[in-house]
Amino acid sequence: MFQNYLKIALRNLLKQKGLTAINVLGLSIGLACFSLFMLYAVNEFSYDRFHDKGDRTFRVLRWWEAGFAGRDEAGGDSYLPMPLGPALKTDFPDVEQFVRLREAWGENFVRANGEVSRAGVQFADPSFFEVFSFKIKYGSPSAALKDRYNVVLTEKMAQRLFGESNPTGKTLEIKLEDKFEPYTVAAVAENPPPNSTIQFDILGNFERLYTTKFGEGSLNNWNRSSLQTYVLLRPGSGLADNSKQLLGFYQKYYPDQKAALQKEGSWKGEGAPCSFRLQPLREMHAGMETWGENAAEVDPTGIWTLLAIAAGVLLIACINFTTLSIGRSAGRAKEVGVRKVIGGGRGQLVRQFLTESLLLSALSAVIGLAMAQALMPAFNEMADRTLSFSLRLYPEIGWLAVGLTLLVGLLAGSYPALVLSGFKPVEILKSKVRLGGANFFTKSLVTTQFVLSIGLAAATLIIVQQLHFMRSQNPGFQRENVVVVDASDTDSEKIYPRFRQLALQQPQVMGVASAELGLGEGTGWSQSGWAYQGKQKNVYEYFVDNHYMDVLGMQLLAGRNFDPKFATDTINSIIVNEAFLKDFGWTAETALGQKLEGYYEGSEKPLPVVVGVVKDFNFRPFKEEVKPQLFHQFSDYAPFKFFVRLQPGDPAPALAALKLAWASAESELPFKYSFLDENLDRFYESEARFSNIIGWAGGISIFLACLGLFGLAALAAANRTKEIGIRKVLGASLGGIVGLLSKDFLRLVALAILIAAPLAWYFMQKWLDDFAYRIELHWWQFLAAGAGAVAVAFLTVSFQSVKAALANPVESLRSE
Amino acid sequence: MITLKNIERFYNTGLNKSWVLKNISFNLKKGEFLTIMGPSGSGKSTLLNIIGMLDKPDTGEYYFLDEPVHTFSEKRRTELHKHTIGFVFQAYHLIDELTVYENIEMPLLYRGVGKSERQSMVADLLDRFNIVGKKGLFPAQLSGGQQQLVGIARAIVGKPKLLLADEPTGNLHTSQGEMIMGLLKELHGEGMTIIQVTHNEKFAAYGTRVMQIEDGFVRMDTTT
Repeated sequence: MFQNYLKIALRNLLKQKGLTAINVLGLSIGLACFSLFMLYAVNEFSYDRFHDKGDRTFRVLRWWEAGFAGRDEAGGDSYLPMPLGPALKTDFPDVEQFVRLREAWGENFVRANGEVSRAGVQFADPSFFEVFSFKIKYGSPSAALKDRYNVVLTEKMAQRLFGESNPTGKTLEIKLEDKFEPYTVAAVAENPPPNSTIQFDILGNFERLYTTKFGEGSLNNWNRSSLQTYVLLRPGSGLADNSKQLLGFYQKYYPDQKAALQKEGSWKGEGAPCSFRLQPLREMHAGMETWGENAAEVDPTGIWTLLAIAAGVLLIACINFTTLSIGRSAGRAKEVGVRKVIGGGRGQLVRQFLTESLLLSALSAVIGLAMAQALMPAFNEMADRTLSFSLRLYPEIGWLAVGLTLLVGLLAGSYPALVLSGFKPVEILKSKVRLGGANFFTKSLVTTQFVLSIGLAAATLIIVQQLHFMRSQNPGFQRENVVVVDASDTDSEKIYPRFRQLALQQPQVMGVASAELGLGEGTGWSQSGWAYQGKQKNVYEYFVDNHYMDVLGMQLLAGRNFDPKFATDTINSIIVNEAFLKDFGWTAETALGQKLEGYYEGSEKPLPVVVGVVKDFNFRPFKEEVKPQLFHQFSDYAPFKFFVRLQPGDPAPALAALKLAWASAESELPFKYSFLDENLDRFYESEARFSNIIGWAGGISIFLACLGLFGLAALAAANRTKEIGIRKVLGASLGGIVGLLSKDFLRLVALAILIAAPLAWYFMQKWLDDFAYRIELHWWQFLAAGAGAVAVAFLTVSFQSVKAALANPVESLRSE
Repeated sequence: MITLKNIERFYNTGLNKSWVLKNISFNLKKGEFLTIMGPSGSGKSTLLNIIGMLDKPDTGEYYFLDEPVHTFSEKRRTELHKHTIGFVFQAYHLIDELTVYENIEMPLLYRGVGKSERQSMVADLLDRFNIVGKKGLFPAQLSGGQQQLVGIARAIVGKPKLLLADEPTGNLHTSQGEMIMGLLKELHGEGMTIIQVTHNEKFAAYGTRVMQIEDGFVRMDTTT
């Protein structure tokens, strides 16, 4: 029987080649789109699930309750002090093992085979490979970090540094703090899977840090928090849920914190402001957000939004199938009647029609997956991931694909199957049923399609405008033609004067300045807080030199820039921005000469004094409001970033000269640079990605909706052949008939605009609310999206109606 | 075999009833060949559909092999119809997407007949109707007479107790019509109970009993 269903389904699909093509094409595109997004979502939710002991491994968070320092929401911070791990193991018998991880902050210099390059080096306790399931390719997990001077390389890094996959036993020199030291490659690990939050290239033994300046200052220091700490609990332990025990532990090591915070005014609550929490490994990526701003973390609502959009596109394709099948029902009615008369039951007919839609969805799934596979590189670039349809990485995609195919087949086919199988044979045989016209259900489906696609089109338009707005907005300094040279981890104090002198000899170089921190890089800021006249103040601090304001083109509103003529400038002069004035309740005039009381608590150092006010500038994304900032050039700073302003034009010769200048100042370490405007654009990467994705989804959905409309218009014209013939015989004009046929569809599109506009307005308003600097919504944005949709829909429909209107009426009337 | 008692069918048009069938009562014995005649719109097709269990009377009783069909649920009616009645149409109503062989096989599939049995039953009929060479063709590739031949083969393949034919020759040339009627007569000769509806006086004479219907009433009922 099933064989028979299949045979008929195939013949029917082949008979109606045009409609089948529309259906298959639409469903394939929908499925390709959805499967890519689904893979993306599966990947996001599959983060950190590959660890064998993952169910009892946790990341420790310092958890601040809501209300602390005026924050509305509670939140966790994953950067913690060095003695925490050992203390947890000593105090809790439930803690089987701990791992502390020092991430690579910036890149270190490494020397392999005599060549120096930059690479990130991280340090972890030797238990790393016992707790986590990263696979070792060469060497053994237990010996991987046995010695203080052992390192583990990933395959990728081994290849890069040594040009071979197994360099175990070889020596690698790493510059830590101020000198190169030899380390032995004890093992090579497989590259961490892309869906792992913990990523590393070179992993050193954590105990090596004990004898560094950093380690000496941190070893027993509970107030220096810069490490991640993971714990492995014993099987069956309930410690993760025992907040009371964790709080007791916290208060043992921070006995005075609550009182201090209350005195300072940043905690007014009754209970404890802070405790430790244990965060399950698999919640690190898409679980709660932490304050530590880990790069890989994502917002789960973002993933669901993308999935919802993809589901919308797929729905549009399914609706095409449904509406076209209903539109075609006139042609199938006779078959249904005959089948019923010769003994076909309704159930058997439903199964027959479902077989047809399932066949179609299976066919589309195959084509769709091939499309998705072909589009994968482009999608990966757009989503900034390295995804692949790998059953090893994502075992769930097998049944997801089968399930999706079945779901699509049933979703698209069930309504037509129920309608068609419900025909009464007598009525069909008497040709009493008026078929093929657009019924209310079909009309609602078409309207839904256009609501979705117009909504997405409007959203795209608005996102693109906001993006353009943020990129073109004057940030308060001149971002073009500035080269940023990375001098971190070098003897930059010695390098800088020499480099500056040589660079300025180039005619293309207009100015050179230095600062401790870059602009536009994730961690390019440091914040300090103190109590000023009893109030907690949080301010971004910048260590800069006296050329900084000029080179970056910042605007002084009052006072003066730093100047070598004033000896005090390297001791306590500061320049502040407008937001700072506002926060402290000063004006540009009254600010000059003000002292920052309380800045050095319990120290005799001279208080910082305001000598200048600079116009606000956006060194953070436009999403955020400009924060209070202060600039100083105290003598203990190190110029880790050099800013070189070039003449507009081809930067290549100047870059070559800068490289030479660097080489003559620092012969051993490599030259590394970037462009300021490119660094800043990185802030908007996720928005640009989002607008790209929404734009594509919008374009595809409009295309699919029009594809369906094209088919429907063809069917409508076919079903009304006789009417058109009669009208033409009675003298109707071409325009009249095209209008007659197009009117019905255009009315639906107009209705869709009315529904889509307020919906899109609402959601885009919410989206824009996240931006401190944003465009306003205008009615014409929605009108433009709507007008576009109407124009495309009209073109689609009129193609069919003109064809129908041009047909010779004699033909159509004779056939009746 | 069939007993109809006061079968009526009507529409409500405003205050009045508009009768399609009124007060139809008759018996049909096994092995009879009944011809129903009447002008267009006289209700003969409706009557045939009621007998064929595709339609329901508004009032009246219908016994088929002593079973009270008028009290049956639609499902049970469908089940009974599926196993006991074969249909032949004026417009053949073959399924365009199926070959001759598959069209004839279809009712057996719906009844769940096993594969080998199906094959032999269909082969018998193809043989008997002399259309073995056409079994792989689609309806569109056949002449009208050949299509109706397939239609009859499909109607009787399941060995129905009753064969209903609604103007089986209406779309055919005279010679093809005679061929079809000859076939019906042959089936009747083998003991099949048949009811046909026709306009054609000459073809009416193939039956053993003629019934005239006009405006929903039986005007005349003569057995020869």
